Amino acid sequence: MPRIPSFLLLAAAPLTGAALLGLAACTLEPTAKITSGEHLYRQKCADCHGARGEGVADKYKESLVGDWSLPRLARYIEKNMPDDHPGTLAPRESEAVAAYVFETFYSPAAQARLHPARVELAHLTNRQYAVTVADLIRSLAPPTAEEGPSDAPPGLTATYFSVAQRGRFDPAKVTHRGTAAAVDFVFPENGELRARLALPPLDRPPTPNSREPAGFSAQWRGTVFADETGDHEFIIRTPNSVRVWINAEPDLRSGSEPTLDINVSTPKDPDHRVTLRLLGGRAYPIAIDYWALPEKTGSPVVPAIALRWKPPHGSERPIPTRNLSGGQATPTFVVSTRFPADDSSQGYERSISVSKAWDEATTSAAFEIVNHVIKRLDRLAGIRPNDPARAQKLAAFAEKFAGAAFRRPLTPEETQRNVTDLLRDAPDAETGVRRVMLLALKSPHFIYTELPARESDATRTATRLALALWDSAPDAELARAATTGRLRTREEVSAQAARLLSDPRARAKVREFFQHWLQLRYLEDLGKDTQLFPDFTPAIIDDLRASLGVFVDTAVWSERSDFRELLRADYLFANARLAKFYGLPAPTGVATPDEFARITAPAGQRSGVLTHPYLLAALSYKATSSPIHRGVFLTRSIVGRALKPPPEAQAFDETSFEHGMTMREKVTKLTRSENCQGCHAVINPLGFSLENFDAVGRYRTEDAGRAIDAASDYADDDHASVRLAGARDVAEFAIASEHANRAFIEQLFHHLIKQSPRAYGPDTLARLRDSFIASGYNLRSLMADIATLAALPGTAPTTLAVTSPPHSP
Amino acid sequence: MTPLLRREFLRQAGLSAAVLPFISGLPSLALAAPARPRQRLIVVFSPNGTIPPAFWPDQVGRDFQLKEILSPLTPYRDRLLTLQGLSNKVRGDGDGHMRGMSCLLTGIELLPGNIMGGSGVPAGWASGISIDQEIKTFFQSQASTRTRFGSLEFGVGVQDRADPWTRMSYAGSGQPVAPISDPYQMHAKLYGQMKDRENLRSVLDPLKADLAKVRSIISAEDRRTLEQHEVLVRQLEREITQGPGQTLRVTPPDLERGIADQNDNVPRLSRMQIDLLVNSFVNDMARVATLQYTKSVGGARMNWLDITDGHHGLSHEPDTDEAAQKKLIKINTWFAGEVRYLADKLAATPEPGGEGTSMLDHTLIVWTNELGKGNSHTLDNIPFVLLGGGFGFEMGRALKFDKVPHNRLHLALAHGAGHRLETFGKRDLCSGGPLALS
Repeated sequence: MPRIPSFLLLAAAPLTGAALLGLAACTLEPTAKITSGEHLYRQKCADCHGARGEGVADKYKESLVGDWSLPRLARYIEKNMPDDHPGTLAPRESEAVAAYVFETFYSPAAQARLHPARVELAHLTNRQYAVTVADLIRSLAPPTAEEGPSDAPPGLTATYFSVAQRGRFDPAKVTHRGTAAAVDFVFPENGELRARLALPPLDRPPTPNSREPAGFSAQWRGTVFADETGDHEFIIRTPNSVRVWINAEPDLRSGSEPTLDINVSTPKDPDHRVTLRLLGGRAYPIAIDYWALPEKTGSPVVPAIALRWKPPHGSERPIPTRNLSGGQATPTFVVSTRFPADDSSQGYERSISVSKAWDEATTSAAFEIVNHVIKRLDRLAGIRPNDPARAQKLAAFAEKFAGAAFRRPLTPEETQRNVTDLLRDAPDAETGVRRVMLLALKSPHFIYTELPARESDATRTATRLALALWDSAPDAELARAATTGRLRTREEVSAQAARLLSDPRARAKVREFFQHWLQLRYLEDLGKDTQLFPDFTPAIIDDLRASLGVFVDTAVWSERSDFRELLRADYLFANARLAKFYGLPAPTGVATPDEFARITAPAGQRSGVLTHPYLLAALSYKATSSPIHRGVFLTRSIVGRALKPPPEAQAFDETSFEHGMTMREKVTKLTRSENCQGCHAVINPLGFSLENFDAVGRYRTEDAGRAIDAASDYADDDHASVRLAGARDVAEFAIASEHANRAFIEQLFHHLIKQSPRAYGPDTLARLRDSFIASGYNLRSLMADIATLAALPGTAPTTLAVTSPPHSP
Repeated sequence: MTPLLRREFLRQAGLSAAVLPFISGLPSLALAAPARPRQRLIVVFSPNGTIPPAFWPDQVGRDFQLKEILSPLTPYRDRLLTLQGLSNKVRGDGDGHMRGMSCLLTGIELLPGNIMGGSGVPAGWASGISIDQEIKTFFQSQASTRTRFGSLEFGVGVQDRADPWTRMSYAGSGQPVAPISDPYQMHAKLYGQMKDRENLRSVLDPLKADLAKVRSIISAEDRRTLEQHEVLVRQLEREITQGPGQTLRVTPPDLERGIADQNDNVPRLSRMQIDLLVNSFVNDMARVATLQYTKSVGGARMNWLDITDGHHGLSHEPDTDEAAQKKLIKINTWFAGEVRYLADKLAATPEPGGEGTSMLDHTLIVWTNELGKGNSHTLDNIPFVLLGGGFGFEMGRALKFDKVPHNRLHLALAHGAGHRLETFGKRDLCSGGPLALS
């Protein structure tokens, strides 16, 4: 039975359920036709659709807005409208009504005219808040560790010691150093592992009443990379003692406490769990101190330790080696206060409204941030023990914090009111700093992103650029460019955009765009009928999600950065487990079994994201494919057409069909009514193009014992018929379709800028599309163009020569 | 509390994270006289056993003389109850110190574990709740006895490590409750939210000025959003100036600054913690507290008593070592002095709404130890001295029992608090029911 909400089942009607039939004969000239159409609309349509197509409660409440062409709209009206007497309008009448509706409110152009777009006052989105704060805290002090990609092989550095130690680990007791692909060890008393690591036997009891150490210990150090933003649960399993720091410094002076501090373990319950919120696309320091106290020979408890995690959207499993590195990273402050969800009513997250819950969250988060900083205040403010200049340094720090929060230097008036006065009136210097930070974090200058410039235009340009590409504040270099007059021309801004794009923060933001584009946040339940697909395990599902991520990352950040590659690549990224499940050649040249390699699929079978098994499996029922879900996805995300909720809900009931029907036949039968066909004429051909893939995304040639027919005639935006024989044809159609290109660019624009492209000029999308095509569908050029255009409104996009950053998927 | 737990807590409490700092449990001035007299419990722990001949009164009953160690408590002789002959009879894994400590308030065995003591079988945490937490939970289950924290766990010089030697309070099986040894941390826990509120209030005027400035420079279409934002800030202002629970009965103590958590500061840390404890009781933030001096096997060097040896090392010296005995008597007498300071503070504090009674009249102090005697590691004759009122016990007596399981004292404490448990801790050790102390 369907596991997907029934409203999706009959996908949605591209339009409104309104009706028309357009016809050929244009006997009236346009203006007259519209006038007569208006008359007819008032007579026959307005009762249900409202005077301006806004909808009527209890009748037809959806507003008449959409992207059908005029002829298509007219044809639909002729066949289906009015709802109570369909077919009673003469072709000429339908055509007139359609023209009126189309010109007055239905078409995108009419909507743009009715609702002129402008750049709206917006506050930081939840992601912008979290990233901005993380970078703000980081900017307050020099990093404590060398950043950047490490040359170290994947895995954590490991050091083993001949005695049980805690706190201070004595280098003189080291028995072995190496790299651990995973922390997952069992140390049986006479085992090979103990011998290899030169660890002593456990049965050296301490002499009575002494603390003579015995047993053994180990340390693992490095970083863990979070693929996605959200709560990560870490699980340490050990019957021994362990201290773990994750996203914290293993140094008590730094003000951070161990994430897990397990001195006492109980063999019956050896799992120790902790949940941390992490921002995706970043590496976090991880440090593990482990010690096994001496035990009696023959003790039933075998020393052991295993590190696992449960990332967002994933199952509990060992942390993949590809997410571990022996390098170093500075902790990232991740605010844990939950904000109310951002407004997604326009299809992308933006923050244009304020509410009580939101205001409370900004207060709560401000306290959280202030407390974090105060704990580390002396270090951040560069104060030494018994520093005679403590008060001055605190005052300087307070002003620096306020400026960082405002993303610009303070005006003299602001310095007086927001810093100096507060410091003066506080009972002590530390309280003064608290208050300055609290005010800065509650201030509209921190919280709002599109305020008229208080400083130079260049400062505003820098702020917009950093928000567009990082969701963060400008870094020192960008701020310097703004204040030294090197951020005025389009070329200067473009060059900074290119630089920002080579930063991991851009990758993290873009990664979330593709998750949004591919609807990955909503596609979670991939569980299948275990009788039919016993090998489709949670581990396979986790691998698939990672495989899709690696594919998108690689395509976007490769030198060509070619959008077309995303749609028509004939390869998949797979590890050994996935390759086996999908019948692909085993990956070669990989260091560990969970590492991914590019594997070309048999000719003609795969076509980029369209046929990625993660999506195919997500867009399926438990036992069978679902052309409707797949078709809706292709309609919305790939060919970029609007769909509205279906006029009638209808469940897909497997038992209602005759035995032996193919899935295509079932869907065709279910959606054959004219009412359904308004949308399913679009959805079904697209969905059928993926019928060569079963419920877990494996390639197949038969369904219900018969050969698959994946070909259909698809009516494009201009109502022309296009033959689609399979996924590859859909990809090529989307690549060539101006409409599809624009829809993609608009989604990307929304994600980066959080404003409507029309606010930057009526032809923004057309101009961006032109430069996109001219650049060879270069995604990085497109992102730089979008960011530049929004940072410097009024400038024309150009195709930028974006140099490829060094990249490691 | 981890962020997640905190959020979960807030969710369950039905409070938003932002409102909580201003409202939760800060008692109001209008703390009415309670229907039933308030009851409070303080468990004081000092380690490494006592010196029995200098501790236990020779007499039984009302007519008894306090010995040297208890001499600081002479003014409270009529409000004391000494309970000789109680035994910690819990057996199982772990050495004497570990069981002495982690079974002291729980009366139940330790879980198997990885901590190997000086002898015996390695062990882990206690497998059940401790009596202080049991009574706290009972108090928190009723509106009339519920307080913001329920219980507070104070430490003095407890080492920064977690094992069965350092924990006596347990929220449940395998769930030790860590005492807070840093008075500044305790101060922040008790009063940080009030400070937050003060700080927030102090920035509202400049915040309103910022908003007004921004409103004046943005477009008319955007102004509506800003005006809504300003309304929210005015609401916030009303909440923090007029909301409930704005005033404390007594102001927080001013702690001397910069007292590090170090051995030589133990006397000062002790007084700071006691001041905070009594203060928190006056403000009715909790009805149960523990005050733990160092830990089992604690090796404090009491230089302030001119004793340079570590406490635990000394406690192993034989009875024949007179010098060591003298030092140990001095050490234990010092602990009695701290109990005296606590009692004095409570006696000098009027019970809020208590019609001329003192806070000590409504508070029972239980001073105990993990061992009966340091050099023998015996778990018999565990020191238990009760002081104060509130639990309906007949005070002013020296009692002697014959190796009675200490679980029965815990049952008496529960019953005294109105919590009529059938058994507590290990069931087998509860036969006979609560000790008859009233």
